[in-house]
Amino acid sequence: MKNRINIAIVGLGGQGVITLANLIAATYHSLEKQVCFNEIHGLSQRGGSVQSLLAVNDNDCPVFALEDTDYLIGMEKLETLRYLYTSKSHPIVIMGNRYEIRNTVYFDLEHFPEEKDIDAEIRKLVKKLYLFNSVDYEKKISFRIKPTNIAIFGALSEFTELGLDPKIAKKNVRKHFAKNPIAQSFNLTAFKEGKSWLKEMNL
Amino acid sequence: MLELDHNIKKKLIIGNHAVVQGLLQAKVGVTSAYPGTPSTEIQTELYKLSKKGKLYFEFSVNEKVAFEIAAASAMSGVRSAVIMKHVGLNVASDAMMAMAYFGVLGGMLLVVVDDPGCLSSQNEQDSRFWGRFAHLPVFEPSTNQEIIDMIQVAFELSEKYNQICILRLTNFTALNTSEVEYVPIEENLPHNGEFIRDINYQIPARYILHKNAHNKLLQFIDDERFTSLNPLIASNGKPQSSEKLIITHGAIYPVVAYLNDYYELNLPILKISAIHPLNEDLIQEMIKPFKYLYFIEELEPYLEREFLAIIGKNHLEQKVFGKKELEVPQENRIVAEALAIPFEHIKGDPTNSETFIPKIKPSLPFAPILTQKELVIPRTLPRLCDGCPHRGAFYVIKKATNYDDIIPSDIGCYALGQVPPVQVGDFWLCMGGGIGTALGFSITNDKPVIAVIGDGTFFHAGIPPLLDAVMHNRKITVAILDNYLTSMTGGQPTAGSPERIAPEQTQIDIEKLVKGCGVQWVKRVPVENIKENIKIFKEALAFDGPSVVIFTGICVIDLFRSQKIFEQGNKKVYIDQDKCTKCGTCLYDFSCPSILKYDGNFVINQNSCIACDLCINVCPVNAILIKGEK
Ligand code: SF4
Ligand code: SF4
Repeated sequence: MKNRINIAIVGLGGQGVITLANLIAATYHSLEKQVCFNEIHGLSQRGGSVQSLLAVNDNDCPVFALEDTDYLIGMEKLETLRYLYTSKSHPIVIMGNRYEIRNTVYFDLEHFPEEKDIDAEIRKLVKKLYLFNSVDYEKKISFRIKPTNIAIFGALSEFTELGLDPKIAKKNVRKHFAKNPIAQSFNLTAFKEGKSWLKEMNL
Repeated sequence: MLELDHNIKKKLIIGNHAVVQGLLQAKVGVTSAYPGTPSTEIQTELYKLSKKGKLYFEFSVNEKVAFEIAAASAMSGVRSAVIMKHVGLNVASDAMMAMAYFGVLGGMLLVVVDDPGCLSSQNEQDSRFWGRFAHLPVFEPSTNQEIIDMIQVAFELSEKYNQICILRLTNFTALNTSEVEYVPIEENLPHNGEFIRDINYQIPARYILHKNAHNKLLQFIDDERFTSLNPLIASNGKPQSSEKLIITHGAIYPVVAYLNDYYELNLPILKISAIHPLNEDLIQEMIKPFKYLYFIEELEPYLEREFLAIIGKNHLEQKVFGKKELEVPQENRIVAEALAIPFEHIKGDPTNSETFIPKIKPSLPFAPILTQKELVIPRTLPRLCDGCPHRGAFYVIKKATNYDDIIPSDIGCYALGQVPPVQVGDFWLCMGGGIGTALGFSITNDKPVIAVIGDGTFFHAGIPPLLDAVMHNRKITVAILDNYLTSMTGGQPTAGSPERIAPEQTQIDIEKLVKGCGVQWVKRVPVENIKENIKIFKEALAFDGPSVVIFTGICVIDLFRSQKIFEQGNKKVYIDQDKCTKCGTCLYDFSCPSILKYDGNFVINQNSCIACDLCINVCPVNAILIKGEK
């Protein structure tokens, strides 16, 4: 219980939240550490919010008191802020800078929060923020493959506090995409990119 | 995967795959299912294995048929399992209720996965009740390892006492990934058995068999293998001197145990995994040392009622704190936050009534879901995929009908047509309920009534109400949205899937089927012919009797899976700002999520657009154009 690490991963359907949870868990598993995670999707594969809670050093209960979140991984700004608001937590946040305007918004609300306001709110609530420029990165790659989740995984593998092993993490990426060589090479590059990004941040 | 010894392995798997592993270890020969989230991963995994010849699996046309297939297999001495979501069991229950009277020869397991929180369902009913209702034993595991282990026990007891067992999971246990130890099964599992005629299956005086079902349950009550699934668990292995006992059930035990630690209560917990039938004597023994019982249950206060009966009947003195006193929500999935207040109540002094003064203020229905601080965060609503062909059909229906027309919809992706901004669909009930309620609306309302239904749902439960429409010559129009797949659950085959998707199946032609039902006015149209389709739909509406329009288009899941999407090359669909008159038809009426209003202009988000071309057909001034080659 004491050495439990609580990680939340949030994003929109299609952004690879569950894939990321799978890879993190697989890496802990390879390191013979206990780990479990859940997934909340349902209709979310159609663009709704997706969330996965992951617990390290526990094999039975991925769910935790959200105020007790140690790390929050956000694939998208609005979903990240939503989590910070609802969880009332102040975690270390690793986030892609994508900001997705949903077209339902035009019918829901008069005012859609502006990106700069969301940014300011997020900064207020985090213990520490690692902001990955996923928008530029995805532009650089291709518009149909979006490996931001894997780039973030690369970054996570360099967090000493998390105790993931970059080599094993990379091996798991290779294994995860083994069936599709094109996706595999894209994602391995993304992994490397994320790793070196974090190293730079830490300098 | 880590090797332990030569025949036990460790693996990280999702709960649904633990079910599959359990079934393999139990050497189950026949499996059947109808797609339903949150049970889908069990089914797709079995489907994959069946293609490799590992065991028999089929996607049946609905849950009742799936149940009957598994039941007859077990009657022939072959171990079988049928898998469905909670609402599927409503459909299968007709067969289940009667089957419980016969029992089975080979073991049979019914796996039902509940969806508290309605993450992908129309309701959140609590399947624990079926055990009592149908006289069947119910198992409810907490962890992936328990899923595998309980399946073994369930099959042993199912065979020993010749009765069907129910394994109940929820979206918590089914979608939790964790480590298990398991035995790999190398061989293929056969499905040949033998049905032996028995006069008992035929006799009309079924009430005698009713008694059989009761007697079988009594055997479960006395079986140590079954009752030992309800352990009294001391917190942190500490000896208990507590007067308080928490009682909970398998599916949410891990959360309750975690919070018991987190809030440092360290109370003993009675975990009920053998939900039905309960052994009254054992329960009495277990609760005897405690004065105060705290019930934490997801959905209904099932155990609370069962225990109250035991306590009342035996004149016990335990004080019970349940749903109401502890303020445990009776709706939605149980997450840690939902139990913060209940745990505060548990922490309090049980002899002081102040402890139980409600802390939750009643909220208005449809109150804003999100906390509001400085910023209002809009809800992220689920929606049809970018490039979904259904949007073409919805656009046609919108344009061909009046605002007041009544449009009952059905269960599937297209139910999302009700969500703004598309907003086609006024009513949403159950599988096939769209056509069924359309009949009722047409009897009582002097307005056009249009039923919307998908291909899978039509095969599942849409045919009988359509026959009813023909029989009584109801003037309704049915829009069948045919995309050759069960899409909502991730793209499983339907009875109408072509060979390309389901080579092992025979494709059923919906148009012929509808004609065969006696419908006089039927047309099948490709979804992209939008302007033409509006005319056709108006003709259908004018027909004096039931009419059916079948819209065909390819599901985006299919586009990606078949890699067709990559054939698009660098093709781009964009809006020519010089031509665009800013009428907003593409955004407000057609509403592909890739179309955005940005700085006063209508633009296409090239990050998400899949260049399906559908929107090109809706722009009145042809301002949506294609760039680039295929
Ligand atoms: S082409 Fe039009 S309808 Fe199709 S995905 Fe792109 S914006 Fe949506
Ligand atoms: S999965 Fe298929 S049917 Fe469902 S929304 Fe996407 S494209 Fe439409």
